[in-house]
Amino acid sequence: MIFVTIGSMFPFDRLIREMDHWAAKTGRNDVFAQIGSGSYLPQNMEYARKLSQTDFSGVMAKAELIVAHAGMGTVITAGQVGNPLVLLPRIQAWGEHTSDHQIATANWLRDKPGIFVADTDADLPSTIASALDYKDDGSVRFSDVADPAFTNQIRTAILDFMK
Amino acid sequence: MAVASGGGHWVQLMRLKPAFEGLDVFYVSLDSTSATDVPECKYYTIRDASRKHKWGFFVAGAQLLRILLKERPRVVITTGSAPALISLILAKYLLRSKTIWIDSIANAEHLSTSGQQAGKFADIWLTQWPQLATQDDTTPKFWGAVL
Repeated sequence: MIFVTIGSMFPFDRLIREMDHWAAKTGRNDVFAQIGSGSYLPQNMEYARKLSQTDFSGVMAKAELIVAHAGMGTVITAGQVGNPLVLLPRIQAWGEHTSDHQIATANWLRDKPGIFVADTDADLPSTIASALDYKDDGSVRFSDVADPAFTNQIRTAILDFMK
Repeated sequence: MAVASGGGHWVQLMRLKPAFEGLDVFYVSLDSTSATDVPECKYYTIRDASRKHKWGFFVAGAQLLRILLKERPRVVITTGSAPALISLILAKYLLRSKTIWIDSIANAEHLSTSGQQAGKFADIWLTQWPQLATQDDTTPKFWGAVL
């Protein structure tokens, strides 16, 4: 199964439309999309507006490939389950987000193992093809929690404040 | 009080859980189903208050006011964004809570708009990107990152 997700904040019809066309063209009938509050309704893939946190984690873990906006919720969850990820960043000028930080996110993640960035709609099919070819070693990219040095320093600060 | 917007902000807050282990912590976010991530703790849902949902500011502000007056947290910690900034300001001036702002790791090139504002209100003001931190007080500090 391929899971398409655009996060929980804003719609991202451009990605949903492109993936719907991709599903039709490739004949993949196992594409599932979380479309949020978007107005484009897929014709060639199953979809939900929004999954619960538990269902979302379940689908992320089951997916052979995740195709998503360049949002950190998706990136971190995909890394924790260790599945390959294709990112298409949202563009502020097209009303897709309130800033262009997703382009910055896509740029620093670009060369990380298991992460594939499509800069434009036209790059999506070839990027997905590379991601599907990617031989994952099955290892997770991130553990479930941050570096203990970081959480310990925060904990110490909190305990100081509580004195 | 640990507060964050939905999606990536919440996922980053969850990666900081070891910092709160054993402490009396409650959580605030936007999605009621996120409560399953913190089954052992009290969890409150508030409305979104992004720049695209202006009316949400008033609703979220009122909800946060109720939560803060009820729980009276000594410390408020957040990974963003706008509703979290409201929490931080209200808690600081209403309850004299200590406040910690950790700007989202998504902001690799510039601080978020809320993150920039947070500098005025946070007792501890952090970025997750070393290149956004300097030695003086005009920028946040860098202690590390959730990844």
